[in-house]
Amino acid sequence: MNEVKDKIRENLKTVYDPELNINVVDLGLIYDIDIPEPRTARILMTLTTPGCPLHDSIASGIKYCVQGMEEIDRAEVQLTWEPAWTPDRMTEDGKRLLQGF
Amino acid sequence: MIAMFQNSKGNETNIKLPFSFIAFSMLALILSQVLLLLNGDLLVTGTFRLPAIWSAAHLFVLGWALMVAMGAMYQLVPVAFLTPIWNEKFGFVQFFITASGIVLFAAALYVRPQDALIPGIVTLTGILLFLVQMFMTLKSQAKPNILTLFVGSALLSLLATITLGIMLVLSMNTGFASDYYQVIFKSHILLGTAGWFSLLIFGFSYKMVPMFSLAHGYTMKPAVYVFLVYFSGMISLISSFLLESRNLEMLGTFLLFAGFVIFTWHVKKIIDKRVKKKLDRPFMFALFAIGCGAVIHLAAVASSAYSMLPKMAGPIIFLYLIAWIAFSIIGYLYKIVPFLWWTHKYSKEIGKQKVPSLKEMMDEKMALPLFLLFIVGAVLLTASFAAKLLFLFYIGQGLILIAAILFSFTIAKVVIK
Repeated sequence: MNEVKDKIRENLKTVYDPELNINVVDLGLIYDIDIPEPRTARILMTLTTPGCPLHDSIASGIKYCVQGMEEIDRAEVQLTWEPAWTPDRMTEDGKRLLQGF
Repeated sequence: MIAMFQNSKGNETNIKLPFSFIAFSMLALILSQVLLLLNGDLLVTGTFRLPAIWSAAHLFVLGWALMVAMGAMYQLVPVAFLTPIWNEKFGFVQFFITASGIVLFAAALYVRPQDALIPGIVTLTGILLFLVQMFMTLKSQAKPNILTLFVGSALLSLLATITLGIMLVLSMNTGFASDYYQVIFKSHILLGTAGWFSLLIFGFSYKMVPMFSLAHGYTMKPAVYVFLVYFSGMISLISSFLLESRNLEMLGTFLLFAGFVIFTWHVKKIIDKRVKKKLDRPFMFALFAIGCGAVIHLAAVASSAYSMLPKMAGPIIFLYLIAWIAFSIIGYLYKIVPFLWWTHKYSKEIGKQKVPSLKEMMDEKMALPLFLLFIVGAVLLTASFAAKLLFLFYIGQGLILIAAILFSFTIAKVVIK
């Protein structure tokens, strides 16, 4: 099970925020990945700003990406604002890309 | 859960609607700059109130800036306020009426200003339809916030501006309220510039500045003071027109300047809290416009203090429109247009295949030379007004015209690509 979750997380690194040009995992947008039943994934995510115009695109990008995996038939994406995203959620790679360190 | 996700869909506007406005606006921008170039001799000698200049000013302000603002609002209001546009078909009808109104209105002002009443009313109708659309859209917004105050007041100022504009044409034709012609004329300009454009740009900047800089943990408290001080400045200036009071005029220009400075300082505070260290050029150009706006507002205070406002108002308004309004709009359009086209073209592809970033959508190489052309053009125009030198005006306005054409071309390229 954990292997599939890790694979999903790894695959989600191909979904980029087109404005920041950083993938959603390194940006810290993915809060939780769950497999409630076999071949079904449930992703809890946020966005950097409520009312972000890329809202729909990024969320559906995540859905398409996970559903495209051979281990998964169905992906549910839930968007949450609680807790709100903070820069601390970014991975070291994300921070390096954004802040140019 | 999935239902919740699906509910959040459907806020995006049909791409043809904002792009109709943007395409029209680019043509109006180029034409207005050509008209200004051809009438340099009048402008340099301080003769701003002549049919050709009226026509150019309205093409620029209504045909370009207002149409861009409308197009952008059709796209931004749904995403910024998380509510879909009330009626898209109505939006297209509104576009055709407003666009025809503006073309006929600018033509009438050029040929025979007395005949501008009917085209003016057509334009007014188009703008009223837009206001209805926005009112119905914002009404369904769950929780109004400070942005609603800025955008709502901007829309009310727009309504007041066009109502006063119609009164001006009526007054010209029939002598109606002719004793108040000057008061109406000055209020028309103030509400159209400070009331409509400044408040609108303030409001949307509060959304876009944190978004483009990825700012976090900043306070929004100063925003209400920006509004109160700036709005009091408008009230004070309108009172000064009515009462012909110099003190109120000085107070008004000072309050407008003070409000603008608080806004500038607040934006700086937001930028200080940014996570994204390297800001891109179009966004920096929009920030530069804020600096220009502050200087222009200061120039108005100084002119008023030295009893020079009546003489300086023409150049000040001209530069206000170029260096504050136009520069802001150009900077943000550089960001908004690629986003619109990206959403249209790639929002269904993301997650399935590699898609370009927004930066790759627009010719970034063009940004710096383009912005430099606009800036050098504006500096030369300022110098030409100060020194009353016609050749400087021609060079400055020529550069702005070239920049406007290049800018339109860059925008068009995003869509054609």
